[in-house]
Amino acid sequence: MLALIYFIILAVITLGAAACVLLSRHPLYGGLSLIVSMVSLAGIYGLIGSPFLGVVQVMVYAGAIMMLVTFVIMVLNGARDSKTPMFDKVSLFIIPAVIVLAGLVGFALVRSPLAFDTTTLRGSVALTSKTLFDVAQTGPGYFVLFEILGLLLLSAMVAAVLLAKKRLGSVESENMEDKH
Amino acid sequence: MDIIESKTWIEWLITIAKFAFCFVPVLYILLLIPMERRGAGFMQDRQGPNRSYIKIPYFGKIRLLGYVQNMCDGTKLFFKEMFAPAGVNKVLYYVAPAIPFAIVFLSPCVIPWFGPMVFEWGGQMVRIPGSIIDSDVGVLLLFGFSSLSAFGAVLAGWASKSKYSFLGALRTSSMTISYEVCLGLSMMGILLLAGSFNLTDIVSWQEHHVWGIVAQPVAFFCFLIASIAETGRAPFDVAEGEPELVAGYHTEYGAMQFGLFYMGEYSHICINSFLIATLFLGGYAVPFVTTETMQAHMGGSLAILCGVLAFLALAFLHMIHRYSKKLAATNLTNRFEILREYKLYNIVAWTAVVVLVILAFFAWFFYNPQSMVIGGVAVGSLSTALGTALIHLLVLVVKSVIFCWVWIWVRWTLPRFRYDHVMSLGWKIILNIALINLVVTAVIAKLVGGN
Repeated sequence: MLALIYFIILAVITLGAAACVLLSRHPLYGGLSLIVSMVSLAGIYGLIGSPFLGVVQVMVYAGAIMMLVTFVIMVLNGARDSKTPMFDKVSLFIIPAVIVLAGLVGFALVRSPLAFDTTTLRGSVALTSKTLFDVAQTGPGYFVLFEILGLLLLSAMVAAVLLAKKRLGSVESENMEDKH
Repeated sequence: MDIIESKTWIEWLITIAKFAFCFVPVLYILLLIPMERRGAGFMQDRQGPNRSYIKIPYFGKIRLLGYVQNMCDGTKLFFKEMFAPAGVNKVLYYVAPAIPFAIVFLSPCVIPWFGPMVFEWGGQMVRIPGSIIDSDVGVLLLFGFSSLSAFGAVLAGWASKSKYSFLGALRTSSMTISYEVCLGLSMMGILLLAGSFNLTDIVSWQEHHVWGIVAQPVAFFCFLIASIAETGRAPFDVAEGEPELVAGYHTEYGAMQFGLFYMGEYSHICINSFLIATLFLGGYAVPFVTTETMQAHMGGSLAILCGVLAFLALAFLHMIHRYSKKLAATNLTNRFEILREYKLYNIVAWTAVVVLVILAFFAWFFYNPQSMVIGGVAVGSLSTALGTALIHLLVLVVKSVIFCWVWIWVRWTLPRFRYDHVMSLGWKIILNIALINLVVTAVIAKLVGGN
């Protein structure tokens, strides 16, 4: 009962903040609403018995990634312009996609049994690592996916570093770091 | 309600009383500000602020060795006008200082302040964990909170609409991201050895094997440097570097709003030194003595504790004696006032010594609590558990105060780094050392311990 009340409060905050991301004109306010939404989503994760996922949500998304996003908003002076129209031509493609996705998620949610049960532990540290890194033949085999994902992220990072280095291979870019 | 009946009243009492530990970082501010000011004075061969006093009728002035300065600072900050420059973003300008200060109250919840209290109550064994939240995510929660607290500085810099604040905010956000990576990676070695994220488990691993600083010396230094950098103090004060950016992200703040940032910074030091003490210096564990041994000889342990405190009081008395001898030889005009104050300290400290020695005597000879056996496990009484918790707490506080002093020591010793030096130190040196350390630790742990 108590957990259900907490769940409703957190769900309202999450959805409200998510709506604010779309409705706010200012990019920085949008980013802040996204942070609030993510933190309360982490609270929901903790409530339904996976504290590990919740903490990782706070640490990685609300902490690191949103910090980078605010950094970019500030550097690119995006915060100065708050007169961007909310809808333009691109929205024609995005809005149907969002509606279809919402329909799919709603369908899946309606079909699955909705039992709100806070007592079972779904994502403790031990359980998560056991599921992810089960190298047994009969196991789910997530560890292969995990390794491949790691490689993918690594290659993405290398590509980003290469893209960020202008004039690749020229003499100036080599000497840039030493001068300052 | 079954949730209330699930625990006895004594469990509820202790569980709720543990929330008082949320205020430890705020109390540490009171310790850290005089420590910083007098410490800076000590390093630069001057007195430091020690002249503010309270006047007590029929006695004279009391200066408390400079501690009264705290009250003056606090009073001044509280009664100043809250002022916002024209053109700031009003909402974010007022919200921003509250964020780091609010996080301060959340952060202490995962630190184990004492070992799990196990005692007998009403014929049953009761176990109360030493941290406010005893979760298996433990230290990750602390990292999550501390990564959120940087948003305060970032928003303050943006909302101030000033170029200096803005640059300070940008530097804060980039530095937080870089050094949190180092912090997390250098911590992973000890987590791998202990096999848990839970800080209580980590401390009990250290208690029964070796301290983290012995098992992971490289990681300790990486962690120390990264956490000094993360608090944003000199020599890593690029975010509020006075020669370049006036005061960085809090240039436009005054009065208690500035005070909130200031207190947030000091509380961050406190939390980080508690974290280092817990991860690498055995946390609440008493050196060379396990908790079981201590509980088996509770009276003796309490007597030794009283003895140590009495020794500290004697050291204080010696200090006062030397001060007053030096002072009596000078011809300062206020020397009689100060000597009278020192006489008061003499009386207080001698009383403390006598009381502590008597307490130690009684604890040693007359206090010998029996343990009961419940379900094949020997379980002590409530008073044994409370005594153990007290000793654990004091040990943890001593360890963390040592690290607080390291912060001040580093600040007043090293010259400050340039921004690009800080970045290359973080990404090119510390990160790589921490990564190599993690790999080596993993290989050795696999070879020695099997799984």
